[in-house]
Amino acid sequence: MRITLDPRTKLFMVLIVSMVVLMPATTPLLWGIRICMTMIPILLLLSEKRYASAIRFLIFYGVALILTFFFLSKESQGILSAILIGYCGIVVQFMPGIITAWYCVRTTKIGEFMSAMQKMHIPDGIAISLAVVMRFFPTIKEEYGSIRDAMKMRGIMFGGGNALRMVEFRMIPLLFSCVNIGDELSAAAITRGLGGKVRRTSVVELKLHAQDVILMMLFTAALLVFVFFKYFR
Amino acid sequence: MNSSKLQAKDFITIGIFTALLIVVEFLCGMLGYIHPYIVASYVILIPIVGSIPMMLFYTKVEKFGMISIMSVLLAIIMFVLGMGYLGAPLIIAAGVAADLIARSGKYKSFKKTILSHGVFCLWICANYFPVIVTADSYREDLIKEGYSTEYCDNLFRAINSKTISVLLILCFVFGCIGAVIGKKVVKKHFEKAGIV
Repeated sequence: MRITLDPRTKLFMVLIVSMVVLMPATTPLLWGIRICMTMIPILLLLSEKRYASAIRFLIFYGVALILTFFFLSKESQGILSAILIGYCGIVVQFMPGIITAWYCVRTTKIGEFMSAMQKMHIPDGIAISLAVVMRFFPTIKEEYGSIRDAMKMRGIMFGGGNALRMVEFRMIPLLFSCVNIGDELSAAAITRGLGGKVRRTSVVELKLHAQDVILMMLFTAALLVFVFFKYFR
Repeated sequence: MNSSKLQAKDFITIGIFTALLIVVEFLCGMLGYIHPYIVASYVILIPIVGSIPMMLFYTKVEKFGMISIMSVLLAIIMFVLGMGYLGAPLIIAAGVAADLIARSGKYKSFKKTILSHGVFCLWICANYFPVIVTADSYREDLIKEGYSTEYCDNLFRAINSKTISVLLILCFVFGCIGAVIGKKVVKKHFEKAGIV
């Protein structure tokens, strides 16, 4: 079953999750709320048929949680455990936010996003820039992949040579292609009438449905419960 | 069309370079989990590595507002990535100040660009803010969340209300040094190729 959500609901989810992530979870109940909030975007990813990324996130998050709870304590020492703690720390702390943001980015079409931004009266400048940022992370990853392949063929790899050249050989080509893609994007944006003086209309009709309202209420309730048990008990 | 106003092309440029800067920040950020002293050395790593895209960005800045909008975007993204809202006003303040400095040189003066990049780099320090302002509760929470006490002790030895001034100055200095290096790289690769 496919659940489509309004982009505004998705942005709201991102906001709430990043607020909850900010407040460290200390008791089992708070951990429970946090884990439930992480599961919702994973389920939504499944409902959008993005099985690969959903399962990848689930495994990453699950392994990190298990490691933190059962194998690591504040007494553990040594380099291996330091790296493990680091890895688990980063995953447990930031994964919920990253998963939700990923869900938001991968399932929102740019047109929908712009139209939602317009409905929320966000200034055009911030909306366009933010849309480009959202669209650009996958592009950077793709470009970087092809540059790495090219460098491999030339025999330039991590491990050999000095670090400075390695950064240079990867970053400069990446910047070159990003600048070029930027020019193409601006041409495309002008054909779509971005930056014009007239108010843009949208093909997508945005409306809040029942599922949007339910999810928003669920997340607000989760936030309230979290804050209540963290600071008032 | 009014040429002093920002257009769609400028917004797209901002978006692209913000994305690049975030990637640089994120890659450096990964290193910080190995040892807390690396967290403190962000003030050196990020200005220098990030200066290459930033200098390329500065060559494209011609109007007031581009650097400010970039700082607003950085603040939003840092919030989503879980760095907290305490730093957000600082990030935006650093961005606007950097923008004003660069504008006083009409976005062409190299000296002003160096200064402006130094000021802009102060946004990195904004990320330390939750560590300093809420030091005690933050420490407790970190330990309860499963970090080792060793990591916490080192972290708070490296970053506290005393060292923050040193970190701020270092950040500014390396921002300036980074600007010079970045400018050289941009000249070597991009100006010769005729892209700028």
